[in-house]
Amino acid sequence: MARQQGWFALILALAIAAGALVLNVPPPLGLDLQGGSQLTLQVLPSGAIKKVEKEQLESVKEVLDRRINGLGVSESTLQTVGNDQLILQLPGEQDPSRAAKVLGTTALLEFRAQKAGTDAEMQGLLKLKRQATAARIKVASEDPSPDTKIKAEELADALKALGIAVPPGSSETDQLELLLATVNTKIVGLYEPSQLTGKDLVGAGRQQQQTGNGWDVTLTFNREGGEKFAELTKSIAGSNRLLGIVLDGRSISEASVGPQFQVAGITGGAASITGNFSSEEARDLEVQLKGGSLPLPVRVIEQRTIGATLGTENVRRSLVAALSGLALVALFMVVVYRLPGVVAVIALSLYALFNLAIYSLIPVTLTLPGIAGFILSIGMAVDANVLIFERVKEELRSGNTLIRSMDTGFSLAFSSIIDGHVTGLISCVALFALGTGLVKGFAVTLAIGLLLSLFTALTCTRTILRLLLSYGALRQPNYFLPANQLPVKAAG
Amino acid sequence: MISSASTPSQPRFRISRHRHTAWWGSGVAAILSVVGLVLCWLNPSIQAPLKPGLDFTGGTQIQLERVCDQQACSGISAPEIQAALAQLSLPAQDGQPAPNLANAVVQVLDQGHSLVMRLQDLGPIQTAALVQQMPKIVGPLDPNGISVDTIGPTLGQQLLQGSVLSLLVSFAAIAVYITFRYNGVFAFLALFTLGHDVLLTCGAFAWLGLLAGVEVDSLFAVSLITVAGYSVTDTVVVFDRIREQRTTLADLPLVEQVDVAVDATLTRSLYTSLTTILPLLGLILFGGASLFWFAVALTIGIAVGSWSSIGVAPTLLPVLSRPRN
Repeated sequence: MARQQGWFALILALAIAAGALVLNVPPPLGLDLQGGSQLTLQVLPSGAIKKVEKEQLESVKEVLDRRINGLGVSESTLQTVGNDQLILQLPGEQDPSRAAKVLGTTALLEFRAQKAGTDAEMQGLLKLKRQATAARIKVASEDPSPDTKIKAEELADALKALGIAVPPGSSETDQLELLLATVNTKIVGLYEPSQLTGKDLVGAGRQQQQTGNGWDVTLTFNREGGEKFAELTKSIAGSNRLLGIVLDGRSISEASVGPQFQVAGITGGAASITGNFSSEEARDLEVQLKGGSLPLPVRVIEQRTIGATLGTENVRRSLVAALSGLALVALFMVVVYRLPGVVAVIALSLYALFNLAIYSLIPVTLTLPGIAGFILSIGMAVDANVLIFERVKEELRSGNTLIRSMDTGFSLAFSSIIDGHVTGLISCVALFALGTGLVKGFAVTLAIGLLLSLFTALTCTRTILRLLLSYGALRQPNYFLPANQLPVKAAG
Repeated sequence: MISSASTPSQPRFRISRHRHTAWWGSGVAAILSVVGLVLCWLNPSIQAPLKPGLDFTGGTQIQLERVCDQQACSGISAPEIQAALAQLSLPAQDGQPAPNLANAVVQVLDQGHSLVMRLQDLGPIQTAALVQQMPKIVGPLDPNGISVDTIGPTLGQQLLQGSVLSLLVSFAAIAVYITFRYNGVFAFLALFTLGHDVLLTCGAFAWLGLLAGVEVDSLFAVSLITVAGYSVTDTVVVFDRIREQRTTLADLPLVEQVDVAVDATLTRSLYTSLTTILPLLGLILFGGASLFWFAVALTIGIAVGSWSSIGVAPTLLPVLSRPRN
């Protein structure tokens, strides 16, 4: 019995350690259980790059990491998936649209000089832009004053003049946005290409305008960038030509350069973008510029958002499901198998405890399918016990002693148990290797469950049973099998 | 008496007497399953053997919780919301034109407390704009009770391919393991019943899709793989016994060896199915909507797996095995 006591001490120690671990380090909850958002971003091939490779994905991730940090979203995680996808998790975030907006844009910043001889066209476009911007501010603040509001017909006419068909049924706001986007793209067409881009930046900031309540974004160039900027401004200083700041092919700001810069251009390596930005827009732009431009465009291909109350509800539901499942199984085992049934229930409780401890230890993030995998593995963990106990009963029926029946039962059931667990583990490996996030969660918890059930069924159940059998009072076959099924000549 | 293994005990239950019933039952179920899958494929609104869910088709599903008194949340109907949605306009995103919400499918659930809308796939900015406009249509909403699921069409394709691939790979891996552990006929039958169990589970969901609009998602693929693993385990336990019987009851014909083995493992098979189905029952009753059909698929698969490991695999064994000399 000394060996049994050694095992028992080990199991007890493990149980205490597991209990302490689970209480102190509860397993992390997935977004479906705590609420939050998850975005999957697809990196798209563009230009010369026909297929996205691992290195490009890493560089996209770096830029996005910097942008996320800039946004100040707490506890977010960004992981690469395969060769061309990224998963962003925002726990607790109910509205991922801003993150998506900031992350999804390429943020390719360029400084361009206006082409000579395009003054008239530029002035027309700028006037339209001013009107549309003013009207948009008024729409946003729901100011009905007629002087700044563009009339619907005027809007439609302006769009038609630019060669844009008005989508039927679109709202006034949509038409305004469409107009602004078109105007900004048209303005870019009036610029010359340039060598000065966001790559030449070392910093970005924002400041509130001294007049008005808009925000400006300030830029700091590196040495080379500063020189390029001085040269660019020098070339247009004093003329009517404008300096355009272009972000992702849209003009975000147009500035004139005064004649005083004709000699040396604007030196000092600093500039500011005056765009009448809102505080939030300025901040987002700052974040994008600081993070640098994306080497490749990305698109949001998956969004999962779950509200906090729905998450809590999911936790409650799966707890009830798991506990009721466990209780039903426990009841069944005790009724059918008597004393060994009780031992199996203890082993099952240990099994559940060890499972949770391993989730905390690795750690495994608990998701709904993960919990389903855990609940299902309870059923499979019982299987090992059922196989063993059925064998033990058989041996008892044919008149073997209790101890001998138990040993034979355990060893005969072993081969079936191993086969069952191996096929189960094969399924888990396939699920993990080929599955997506949620499916992986299921595979991991099921696999941990299968491995643990081997341990609890073969070691815990056996040790506790043998230990109990060392007490003479418990060594009665009818604690194992109803008396009427025992052979007459059975001996204890 | 030393051990039961040497006792040529008379089986209380002789599966060989019921084999024709078992074969007929499985045959009819298999034909019904195939008919269900074909009908699904021919159905113009499905056009696939199983009705694919959001995971595989791509699209956006938005669930909203309304704030109203504890009684029924009245005054709203799905067609009204559908009509209002068709009037909404959302911003364009990713260079694609603004979505048309006229084909939205709306369900009002839980006595009007929650709404589920199925739409074409929307970007995060578009879903945010839509959620923002919803209170105008349906009244105040619980900001913590919003759930959004968007799957892009290419990702849907990817998920579908991944699911089918993981199914095939796991079946193949199980096949390799079984042929390694058992000889030809055993391995063939274990895989045959695996196919049987997976077919019947799929068939049940084809009919559920036809009659009740139940859709299959990645979790359904997971349940199929789990059913496959379970099916093999269950069959292998019986086969293990038959193999054992072949040495201890060598002088009996195979049919009787099978009868003894099935009789000996019958209780275990039924109990194990029951102890697996009991926790699943907990999931079906209390687990909530997202795991409901997953648990149903597993329950069907495990019940079918139990049936085939008792009634189909062992009874086909004597038919397919050559008489030993």
